[in-house]
Amino acid sequence: MGDAVSSVRPKETVREPPSGADAPGDSAHRAERETAELSERAVELARHYGGKMEVVPRVPIRSLADFSYWYTPGIAQVSREIQRDPDLSFELTGRWNTIGIVTDGSRVLGLGDVGPRAALPVMEGKALLFKYLGGVDAFPLPIQVASPEEFVETVRRLEPALGGVNMEDTASPKCFWILDRLQATLRIPVWHDDQLGTAAATVAGLLNALEVTGRRIDTARIVLLGAGAANLATARLLRALGADMGAMIMVDQKGILQAEREDLDELMLHNRWKYDLALETNEIRRRGGLAEALDGADVLLAASRPDPRAVRPEWVGRMAPNPIVFALANPDPEIWPQVAREAGAAVVATGRSDFPNQVNNSLVFPFVFRGILDARATGIPDPVVLAAARELARAARVRGVTAEHILPTMDEESVFPEIAAAVATQAVELGIARVRRSRAEFLEMATQRMTRSRRLGQWLSQNGLLPPMPPEG
Amino acid sequence: MEPRKGTAQKDRKGSEREAPDPGEGKVVRGVRVRPARKDDLPALVGLLVRLKRLNGEFDPLLAVRPDAEEQALRVLSADLSNPNSLLLSAEATGADEGKVVGVLRATIRERLFYVPEKEGVVLDIYLLPAHRRGGLGEYLVEEATRILKERGAGVITVEFPSLNEIATRFYAKRGFRPITSIHARSV
Repeated sequence: MGDAVSSVRPKETVREPPSGADAPGDSAHRAERETAELSERAVELARHYGGKMEVVPRVPIRSLADFSYWYTPGIAQVSREIQRDPDLSFELTGRWNTIGIVTDGSRVLGLGDVGPRAALPVMEGKALLFKYLGGVDAFPLPIQVASPEEFVETVRRLEPALGGVNMEDTASPKCFWILDRLQATLRIPVWHDDQLGTAAATVAGLLNALEVTGRRIDTARIVLLGAGAANLATARLLRALGADMGAMIMVDQKGILQAEREDLDELMLHNRWKYDLALETNEIRRRGGLAEALDGADVLLAASRPDPRAVRPEWVGRMAPNPIVFALANPDPEIWPQVAREAGAAVVATGRSDFPNQVNNSLVFPFVFRGILDARATGIPDPVVLAAARELARAARVRGVTAEHILPTMDEESVFPEIAAAVATQAVELGIARVRRSRAEFLEMATQRMTRSRRLGQWLSQNGLLPPMPPEG
Repeated sequence: MEPRKGTAQKDRKGSEREAPDPGEGKVVRGVRVRPARKDDLPALVGLLVRLKRLNGEFDPLLAVRPDAEEQALRVLSADLSNPNSLLLSAEATGADEGKVVGVLRATIRERLFYVPEKEGVVLDIYLLPAHRRGGLGEYLVEEATRILKERGAGVITVEFPSLNEIATRFYAKRGFRPITSIHARSV
């Protein structure tokens, strides 16, 4: 479950931990120490810069006289134009490139319910990634709300200012209800990154892992460990890709999910999405825990909690020959990659940048939004998410897919505008795009906008408008 | 408890066309509905306790007692020999042949002050999740209604937690309306 933070942290010196199930050892201690140092530095820098984002004009100001266009009296006509045709707000204002990063702060990173104020630095960081990678103007908008209904209502009221919404760090299962409601009521795309970003990256990696091991999506037996936002969304995308849902098995803290489990009525009332999967998956009603679930399985997609002992090597040994193991918890995967490989895994992926095959939502969200904003799409249905996943998989194949390279890395920048173009093109094909262009045109558009954004940052730094990083210590 | 709309409608029409045979039990969505038997009791206890736990989700005043299983066994055993009680079992066919997957408990109550004088009360109805949404719940209610009517009931009532919106919708769609309410507070 590579999140934005882990994706951009400096490459750690930590490589593989020594083999053995309890492997972390020295390297884990070193990683812990490094995290502590990074944390201290992050607070220091946050204080030094006073936040990470600011608003910068998009127009030249030669003198105050220019405000006759940028503001009154000229601006009144711009206002009237939009009143006449509300869609013009995407042309005559910056709405076309503006999204809100909305959270109630109820499940921030691994910290839990820290509230909207404490969520703000995280949302600022996300906004910085949106700007730097995707050229998207993203406003961090943590909101103080008392209920899911209030969440939806608040975002609904913000719609006129926004070209899209990125939901973030909102607790499961309410995040499912909120996303469904927002997607149904808003005429702009709404995305929940913890669901869709992670799921899209996971599915992209899985498509290539299946290819590397000579499997097909419709016959592979897939086990999902963890039934939170990411894996429930992954299951939905897998269904759309034609995976055998009856053969799929989900495992959570209570063990294998199956239609006769005692807590099913509770799920029916409080987590409809998981309830539906309980009925749809595990046709043979297998019972037990992860060990039983993995018996003969082709694929394990783990997105649960950081605990390198969650998946035991002997359980990997019970899987089909040459199995695929994704251990996506951060910072520690559910099983260390080397341990999984020694237990027989043919392809291993984690959420970390210091191991091969990082499943990283930073490969997805900036470019999905670049594409969806370029097409001025009215929504972001699953086929669009799948288009991003497929493009990501295709991009990795261009460089050659191996067991150690099933996904592009963050260094493979040429991939980024391709994802945006694939997304925009899919939106046009679905008839939800306000802007209809060819894929080549969308590619050009995305490349320009993303390049400009990076150049802007560099220029501000080089010209002394962004103070240099203070020395450490 | 909560069959889904579309398919429920279809099965309902289907079940109205064919007159159900009370003795053999009619098969709806691979499930046979028939009067409960003594050997159903262990399964029925499990289903009834699941229902009570589900009720407990709606209100802390419906939290389930630790001896709920014994209570269930006692109540269900009594039902089997009480002529005023109706106990229907829903039994799987095919791969799970004979497995009891649903239950309906009902009784006839005398109404001392109102007409109609006899009330058929659906006390409990529960289906395992995998057997919901297919019209089976609807069929159970209709079948119970038919039998209770035969036994002289002029009105059919159902009891469930006030906050169970799924049940509220399910029964409202089938012509039920609230006529009395039970309000509670802890003391």
